[in-house]
Amino acid sequence: MRAVDNIITTQDLRKSFPAKKARGGKGGAGGKGGDGGRISAVRGVSIDVARGEVFGFLGPNGAGKTTTLRMLTTLLPIESGTATVAGFDVARQPRQVRTRIGYVSQLGGADELATGRENLILQGRLYGASRAQLAPRVQALVELLDLAEFADRRVATYSGGQRRRLDIALGLVHEPRVLFLDEPTTGLDPQSRANLWDHIRGLRERGTTVFLTTHYLEEADVLCDRLMIMDHGQIVAEGTPRALKQQVAGDAIVISLRNEDRGAGDRGAERAAPLLRGEPYVRELTADNGQVRLYVDDGGTALPQLIRLLDSRGIPIRSISMSEPTLDDVFLRQTGRSLRDGDTGGGETGSDTGSEPEEVAA
Amino acid sequence: MKPARDIGLLFQRYAIQLLRNPVWLIVGFSTPILYLVLFMPLLKHAVGGVGLSSGQVVNLFLPGILSLLAFASGIGLGFNTIFELKAGVIERFRVTPASRLAILTGPILATMMMMFVFDAVVVAVGFGVGFSVYWAGLAVLAVLLALLMTTVAAFSVATALITKDISGFAAIVNGLNLPVLLLAGVLLPISLGPTWMRVIAHFNPLYYLVEASRVLAGGTLAATAVWQAFAVLVPLCALVLAWATGVFRRAVA
Repeated sequence: MRAVDNIITTQDLRKSFPAKKARGGKGGAGGKGGDGGRISAVRGVSIDVARGEVFGFLGPNGAGKTTTLRMLTTLLPIESGTATVAGFDVARQPRQVRTRIGYVSQLGGADELATGRENLILQGRLYGASRAQLAPRVQALVELLDLAEFADRRVATYSGGQRRRLDIALGLVHEPRVLFLDEPTTGLDPQSRANLWDHIRGLRERGTTVFLTTHYLEEADVLCDRLMIMDHGQIVAEGTPRALKQQVAGDAIVISLRNEDRGAGDRGAERAAPLLRGEPYVRELTADNGQVRLYVDDGGTALPQLIRLLDSRGIPIRSISMSEPTLDDVFLRQTGRSLRDGDTGGGETGSDTGSEPEEVAA
Repeated sequence: MKPARDIGLLFQRYAIQLLRNPVWLIVGFSTPILYLVLFMPLLKHAVGGVGLSSGQVVNLFLPGILSLLAFASGIGLGFNTIFELKAGVIERFRVTPASRLAILTGPILATMMMMFVFDAVVVAVGFGVGFSVYWAGLAVLAVLLALLMTTVAAFSVATALITKDISGFAAIVNGLNLPVLLLAGVLLPISLGPTWMRVIAHFNPLYYLVEASRVLAGGTLAATAVWQAFAVLVPLCALVLAWATGVFRRAVA
């Protein structure tokens, strides 16, 4: 199972923080799996990332993605378990690991009073390269990430998307084997996001392994060769986006029952759920917020039957929609929650707080 | 030497940041001048020295300004640390193989360089109003100023890394400022104070610098105050630097 060309391998990685450190908005609800006043942020994560793939960590804020990433990049001490990156043990050979990885945090951290090019040259020199070695390398990066237009302007003048591309260039200047990207597109407008996706795909074509975290479904789906879905510090699903979605066979149907009458919606969903669950063609069903979400093998034949059934019982339907399963359906199936409201649901773990400002953007 | 190269790179980086910040430059240059211009006339009367010439007053007062500058330059560095922490700069450096000591000392050395520039301006302006310049004494004083500034700066950076937010850090700095400055005799000689004050002053590192600075600026090298200052500041500086590097190494940032 441990293939030779795995560039990242971890076994049973764990990390917890003292409970008092879990402060601020996300930390509120006391944390899961806390023992002795500690909050477990990462609870037994085992990963194998193959050379040259784009590997993603998908999960809501506070799921432990950033904490895992920070352990793999030598920024946080590993509490228990082992991690090997680019052939070196992260805990025992942090220096060797550092020279072989690039890391782009959510914050970026380019010097605003310096130009993009100056930032790149300093970064390269900190990795031991000489100015002469760096000049062509920096120029190539400037072209690769479309920075040419503003590379010699001060970073303070950059737009969000431009700055993000510079941040990525900073992570690449020493030609690392693996590039770690923590929430690379958070806070970017859709156009800049799509543009950045193109650039990340370009990196894979050049043979760089990319390890990224995201809480955007589309990003994980479009960008990653393989991904892990993480929740409450644990891996809940793993595979290619396609394989993951195939786990949720059939079509997803969402019936919205919220009514004009006060409170009727909830009662509608309450009434509809057991009714629909009894139908033979309904494979799985969840109900909340006046919405019933269910999975069927064939949406085309199930839809009219569903409508007729609800109509005959006098349960008013507000809207009904059908879709192919998404990664959100995978997440929902594994955790019982939707990732789409993950931004507000992040408070449930309170794990990624303390040492890391996870919500930076917007 | 790898650490030396890293220190050089991060020194250069920080110096460039300072020089490109016009507000910082203006305030940096004007503050010591303002001290001289605004305090000297007051002091001329306060010390009861009705008969003192402005040269004598500036001889008494200018070494204190230099000490004050060393303290202020050092203590301010933590604010920058918090800014860089929030902006992700420190994390960006920490994932590189750059020496941890260099990440800490690069900015300290750049700040020191700027401090000496300001010191030179103060001495030049002081010379204009009658300050007597003793080069040997000033050279030894420069070493002591550098020691104190490094100590205070390392303390400030480590405190910033521990508190991590600007309001907590600012509270600590403001809380320290007044007692440290008063109990050092920077503006008024501590000998004017009661006994208990003079006793407490001996626990204040800045006190030793101020005492030594008056003697050294007067051209005396072999004085008790000078030896005492070295005896206190050399080990203290080493101790605080070691502690601050430890704080940096522990992955708390």
